[in-house]
Amino acid sequence: MEVKDGEAEATKAAAELSPEKPATIWARRLIIAAFWLVVVCLGLPHWIWTTSIQRSDLPLDSMNAWAEGKACQLHYPLHIGLTAPDLDPEHATSFASDLEALLNGHQSFRLHHFHVQTEHSSNDTPGPKQVLNVVLNTASAPKTPQATLQSWGPILNADHQVGRPEDLKQVATFLASQISNIFEDESAALWHLIKDTPFANGVQPLALSPEKSSALDRRMTRAFKYAPAYHLTFSMFTPGAAPSAWDIDKALEEYISPLLRPLSSISDFTIDTQVQLFASFSPSIAGPAFNAEKNHWTLHYGDLTGFVNAAEWPLSPSIGEGPTINFVLYVPSQEKKPLLIDENDGSSWIIPQWGGVQIHNAPSAQPHNLTLDDLRPDMLIFADQLAGLLGVPPSPPSLSLRMSSLTRERATGLILSASSTLGALSRLTLKLTSIAIPDSVAKSVDETLHRLDQACTNLRDGHFQLALENARIAETEVEKAFFEPSMVGQVYFPEEHKVAVYVPLLGPMAVPLIMSGIKELKKLRERKQKAA
Amino acid sequence: MKLATLLALPASLAATVLASASDTYSEHLHLKPLPNGALYAGFNFTASTPLTAYESQHFRFFPRSLGQILQFTHTSELHLRFALGRWDEESWGNRPRNGRREGGTGVELWAWLEAQDQKEAEERWSGLVNSLSGLFCASLNFIDQTKTITPILSFAPEGTLDPEQANLHLMHGMLPHEVVCTENLTPLLKLLPCKGKAGVSSLLDGHKVFDASWQTMAIDVRPVCKGQECELEIDQTVDMVLDVERSMRPRDNPIPRPPPVEDVICDEAKGYNAHDTCYPKRREGEMEWGLSRIFGRPVQGSCPAGSRENAVDIVVEIPQERIVDAVPEDALDTVSTTDSQRSYRLKEGQELDLRLPHQILDQAQEHRQTLLHAHRQMTGYGQERGGMHIVITNPHPHSQRVVYLESLPWFLRPYMHTLAISGATIENMYYTPAIDRQKGTQLEILLEVPASSTVEMTYEFEKAILRYTEYPPDANRGFDIPPAIVRILPSNASSDDQGSYLRTTSLLLPLPTPDFSMPYNVIILTSTVIALGFGSIFNLLIRRFVLVEEAPKSPLAVMIQNLVKKVKGAKSDKKVEAAKDSSSASILKDTPNGEVRQRA
Repeated sequence: MEVKDGEAEATKAAAELSPEKPATIWARRLIIAAFWLVVVCLGLPHWIWTTSIQRSDLPLDSMNAWAEGKACQLHYPLHIGLTAPDLDPEHATSFASDLEALLNGHQSFRLHHFHVQTEHSSNDTPGPKQVLNVVLNTASAPKTPQATLQSWGPILNADHQVGRPEDLKQVATFLASQISNIFEDESAALWHLIKDTPFANGVQPLALSPEKSSALDRRMTRAFKYAPAYHLTFSMFTPGAAPSAWDIDKALEEYISPLLRPLSSISDFTIDTQVQLFASFSPSIAGPAFNAEKNHWTLHYGDLTGFVNAAEWPLSPSIGEGPTINFVLYVPSQEKKPLLIDENDGSSWIIPQWGGVQIHNAPSAQPHNLTLDDLRPDMLIFADQLAGLLGVPPSPPSLSLRMSSLTRERATGLILSASSTLGALSRLTLKLTSIAIPDSVAKSVDETLHRLDQACTNLRDGHFQLALENARIAETEVEKAFFEPSMVGQVYFPEEHKVAVYVPLLGPMAVPLIMSGIKELKKLRERKQKAA
Repeated sequence: MKLATLLALPASLAATVLASASDTYSEHLHLKPLPNGALYAGFNFTASTPLTAYESQHFRFFPRSLGQILQFTHTSELHLRFALGRWDEESWGNRPRNGRREGGTGVELWAWLEAQDQKEAEERWSGLVNSLSGLFCASLNFIDQTKTITPILSFAPEGTLDPEQANLHLMHGMLPHEVVCTENLTPLLKLLPCKGKAGVSSLLDGHKVFDASWQTMAIDVRPVCKGQECELEIDQTVDMVLDVERSMRPRDNPIPRPPPVEDVICDEAKGYNAHDTCYPKRREGEMEWGLSRIFGRPVQGSCPAGSRENAVDIVVEIPQERIVDAVPEDALDTVSTTDSQRSYRLKEGQELDLRLPHQILDQAQEHRQTLLHAHRQMTGYGQERGGMHIVITNPHPHSQRVVYLESLPWFLRPYMHTLAISGATIENMYYTPAIDRQKGTQLEILLEVPASSTVEMTYEFEKAILRYTEYPPDANRGFDIPPAIVRILPSNASSDDQGSYLRTTSLLLPLPTPDFSMPYNVIILTSTVIALGFGSIFNLLIRRFVLVEEAPKSPLAVMIQNLVKKVKGAKSDKKVEAAKDSSSASILKDTPNGEVRQRA
């Protein structure tokens, strides 16, 4: 009952109010409209203009095309030169095409495409560099066919008897199997690189045995990421005071430089050496234990990870660009010699993506100075470890073929990583709408795309060195774009902070403005309804 | 090919023998008791490498980590100092090594860099301070252009460098705020070939070094050429003055406690009012001390790096009649009669300890008087202005030429017209004015200080107001002003061209500090003012004004009224139920609500 009374009172009071003059109503409407006009036409654009972040346009489509592997079909044409002094040009040409057909039909090559050229045909058009030269000797060949690969140059010497022209087919089969043996490992490695990326789409899968796959995995994880420059640090550690000198200059000249010379076409190398006395093991490992049975000191397999005492041994990375590859020669003290690994009696191991360790167990008394002769076995191991750490494939036996193989692998790896970084960058810019994209990022992305295109074309044309060069630039550019400092900084200013600043300032002004606006609109609608 | 290598082998062997011959290392410890129970211990480690080996990055005794930094930044000569405490020149006398191996409080660094122009030099300097900062775990990276100066008279290269060479740039920076501690000593020890595990460096323990009354660590790298052969020399120095009594307290019970009353010897010469008082007698004679008691352990044998022929490891500078027990005894090498020095040799793998018993000597050791005294204080009051007052005293009966170098931060703006120097003649003055946030003031004055006189220097300055973000977290502590460097130029007769150095203490400059919650206060205050102003004006403009009786009740008020009524109604209903329950349980209850009773 009382509730109804209250309502009645209210309506009574309202009824007592005289209706407003239309002029006042219009004035009020104008006032509110004017305020809103200022807010919308002046305040809002001004706010948008002052708080907007610069976002350059990125070519997202082409970036995604690269990330999805659609922009480039990886393809490696291998040009093989055939020199057969004993065959006449006609036979040689047909033999070459036979060989080419056989090789291209081989099932272990999905990404490679072989072009066999004889010396006669290659003279006309100066094509890309030949990766392999086959010298076929038929005249004074022994009975059993044989093929030998030169250890430095990319030359395969083959001897096969050819009696009748039909024998050429047999020779072609023989040569094809030899050549495919050479490139089989590379093909497997390339397939291993791309198999889990979008670039593998459209390529017939290559079946790899689990052992081969895990061996390739080990090789890839062991190797350093590609860098245009590497620092090599050779350090000698000894727990006592001797030896305190070594003929490292000579040893490097003799054993490491020959390996670095061909590699210098891929990366630059700087070398430094140091001698560290009184180097103790870290307390986290058990340390060497004496094995009475074998009469030598042993290190457990588990201790190898903590062998390098990172806290005390001064193995800080070198300054300047590029990673440091460490080679540690540990000379155990006289009383704890020889020091070997318990499980396999070895004395050297590789620490993936860090370097190699070698224990110097010379039987002689502790000399003051390690001579070149003392260092010889250690240097050979270091050279081997260096090749492994740089990702040089273990086969084929010819160093120059291994280098060209490495060039292709590195170029592929760089293209893959640059493309995936492009994809990550495009996803990042779409996901984080509040980060700025400076012009430099757009520029870097454009450069990356251009270089990737170039690298792809180079690969398809067989200019692998150029492809590596372009892929290297693409990789550095895209890294630069992704890690642009001004983009990273934006992440640390979240939206919540803006609310904290805007609410106290804008809240007290916005509430009366909005409320009056709503009220006025309501009244307008009521009046219209009444009028209607 | 093989023949060539065979032929090359002897040559290369000869070359390596030569090379290893010039790879040298030596170390040295100088001990000298000072008055008032203090002991000076000066450690010095010198290693050198032929310049050819250094350039091809083959490091043996020269540390690789430092060598690479120097190569990367094209630093020809480097001087780095870490210092803590104050050398008490009144009681301890002349400074060790003529003050050349000590720095101002905190960190000090100066270097000669090779660069084509000033810009390149600044870039390399910035690279150098950043790399050294990482190597020595110090905030050296805070030495930026505002803290960098280029002194003209104060420093001369120690090595065979030609300072007039156009592509050599001297840069100097100081960090007086830096607290030197164990994390700076550990990298210094790591640079040594024996790493503090053998040789005199085995005595260096962070607990003892940083417990010293005065302590300074120095690293000096310089090229030294003898004829055609050039080598790079690194000189590492750790100098300290230890309080013997404090250092010898037991490690497991380090809190000093007063000795029992029975052990205190009273000074009978003084007058006593009662029997229960005692003036402790001053300790007489030389204090008892030993190496292992002061440093916590004996020397762990010799450091066998480098040539050990004629090597003298430890020199103790004490009067002739003072007794020293060396363990083992055969370590004593020579006793010099002229300058009261005894030298000791270390053997590989054999510990050495020195013990000096309590002894009363006929005459105390004489200390050479210091060359010059320099003091600097801040004067004035208030947050706007202040003044600097410098006193330089020459106690000697001959005049001395002195370079006074001041490197002031930009927020301290000296008024050069107020610079007044009394008691000395200014021979030369270099002054670089400060640029706000870009460069500090550099003031270098060459003075002739007359014999046995005191020079007073004063100038006034203004304190700048910093920006909000330029204040450090502990803004109210004040800002450290780096020490002034005084170089006493060598007299013309002496061959030494370095002269000796001394540094004043660092100063603390209080700057006007704002209230750091200010921006938030500003936001809140502005918002309130705007809300008040805008809200009232806006309401005035759009509201219709009527009498209170005429005004319709606001719908919100009506709603609340209804709600209150409803709640009241619900309450009374509940009470009715409660009353019913109690009556059914046949418990009589006096309910205060008359209405409820009526209804029940």
